Amino acid sequence: MSSPRTADRLTRILSMLPWVIANPGTTVDEVCERFGYQRADLLKDLNLVFVCGLPGYGPGDLMDASVDDDEVVVDMADYFARPVRLTAAEALMLLAAGLAVMSSGAAPPALASAVAKLQAVVVPDEGTVEVDLAAEPEALDVFRAAAREGRVIAITYTAIGSGSTTEREIEPWGVFATLGNWYVRGYCRLAQAERVFRIDRIRTAEPTGAGFSPPDEPPSPVVRYTPGVDDVTARIRLSPHSAWVADYYPVSVVDETDGSKTIDFSAGDPAVAARLLVRLGSTASLESGDEVAEATRELRGRILRRYG
Amino acid sequence: MHRVIERILNLLAFLLTVGRPVTAEEIRNTVNGYRQPSDEAFRRTFERDKDLLRQLGVPLRLEHTDAWEVEQGYVVSPDQYALPDPGLTDEERAALWLATRMVRLGGQAPGPGAIFKLGGAPIAATGDPLTADLGAEAETLAELFRAVTDRRTLRFEYHDEPRTMRPWGLIHRMGHWYVVGEAAKEKRTFRVDRMSAIAVGTKGSAFERPKGFRASDGFPDAPWEAGEADVEVTVRFDAEVAWWARRQLSSAARVVDGGGGAIEATFPVASPDAFIGWMIGFEDSAEIIAPKDLRRRFVAHVGGPA
Repeated sequence: MSSPRTADRLTRILSMLPWVIANPGTTVDEVCERFGYQRADLLKDLNLVFVCGLPGYGPGDLMDASVDDDEVVVDMADYFARPVRLTAAEALMLLAAGLAVMSSGAAPPALASAVAKLQAVVVPDEGTVEVDLAAEPEALDVFRAAAREGRVIAITYTAIGSGSTTEREIEPWGVFATLGNWYVRGYCRLAQAERVFRIDRIRTAEPTGAGFSPPDEPPSPVVRYTPGVDDVTARIRLSPHSAWVADYYPVSVVDETDGSKTIDFSAGDPAVAARLLVRLGSTASLESGDEVAEATRELRGRILRRYG
Repeated sequence: MHRVIERILNLLAFLLTVGRPVTAEEIRNTVNGYRQPSDEAFRRTFERDKDLLRQLGVPLRLEHTDAWEVEQGYVVSPDQYALPDPGLTDEERAALWLATRMVRLGGQAPGPGAIFKLGGAPIAATGDPLTADLGAEAETLAELFRAVTDRRTLRFEYHDEPRTMRPWGLIHRMGHWYVVGEAAKEKRTFRVDRMSAIAVGTKGSAFERPKGFRASDGFPDAPWEAGEADVEVTVRFDAEVAWWARRQLSSAARVVDGGGGAIEATFPVASPDAFIGWMIGFEDSAEIIAPKDLRRRFVAHVGGPA
């Protein structure tokens, strides 16, 4: 296998050459900005191109690539006048990203026309690939604006794990959609730590009037649940009918035989694992995890009492 | 790395200009960079290079070199190699680039390669504090996308059963990807993360997509609306969860006041399993009032194994 760095570098060269050929007179700065080059790396790549070309490999066969008075010059390279077509993965990613952002209402007008043009060259018919994010909760725009402008928001929040309702002030850093839900993440003044809240569990959201300075570099968005130190872990055996859980949740798979899987499921609150187990019914069983076993018994009892 | 890149550029320049299929032997004798001392070393290098070309998206094919079909050679047709120009403006490139910065596929952020191919874009900071993760494994999804766009038959396993389908389209909805198409002569929808052993047919244009097809047509609004059953349920939601239930019910639901902030909602359910799963999320703050048999089924499900 060639390293991904080799492939990335070749993709960039084979994309930069057509652009320079189509835009004679372009400068080093322009090419660097457009293709994310450092000046020295662009020069290195041009020097490589300069020693390549067609069999014979004499002066008349090699490509011409150089910098002349800050102008990037490429010549004798007509066979590289067009970029390589997109791979299926690249086309899908561009399209899915464009369609997702369009469905979020965050799209600049240019995105709609970009996606339409892209669709025309990568998918045969409109409507064959469609992307919807979770329906946007009303409070989404409140948090988006608050994150942009650095405004503190007071929320009433019902925790998914315990079902308890609290009032908190949060400093929103950003919103994200994953697994069919919208979340807001930021600093929670009540917990005095970074927290993630599911927006549809937020009953009220009002600016307090106070402001905050967002972190210079907010940590890159964690769009997956990452186990914390206080988490409880349950070892769960999944039958083939519930094996999808291993793909859906961030779990570690400890064993896999004949379509059945044994996983370690971690959660901040045993109630989360309990709800999953009750939901999976007879297609999954708990192998170990006392706290989760207790929470599951408690949840089953509580629901069954209601149905008396 | 220099040597690999030089060799690939030389190989690609040769294949794009030679205008006929060329054998591995001819490549070895003609193209700069293939003077490996042994046959074995040449073969290894050449195999690696072919993989790399395919990784870049270069359509490398094998064809007979002559009418007698004795030998096979490699071809890269310039028409198939070239990206058709979508005619993007710089503003559109920047908008696409920003979108790729905001969206991940199964937790993976895409590299800039695709945007470079489209002509690059000035790299701007994202202006919007919004990100999204579209679930699913990027590689599986790319395979399914290829099947949809090339109209290739799909074989896979779903709930342990082998299936064959004509994939008409792909849709991301409610946090999951689905393939929509025809299976066993009926329009069906399969959730991608529950498909396994996926195999894409070798033959392109294997079927016709229905005229005017849209993946979202007839696609359910709520998980329990996707299925084959047809049951009308009535559920009582207590005051503390009523606001949350209202947010999730589709427009098909009829809601009446249940007193003291509680509500009673009546709505159609096509997938009892999905409905039961959803109801468990309300724990003991909601109750299925009707129909009786679904209520019994819910109790039996919750009772579960001891």
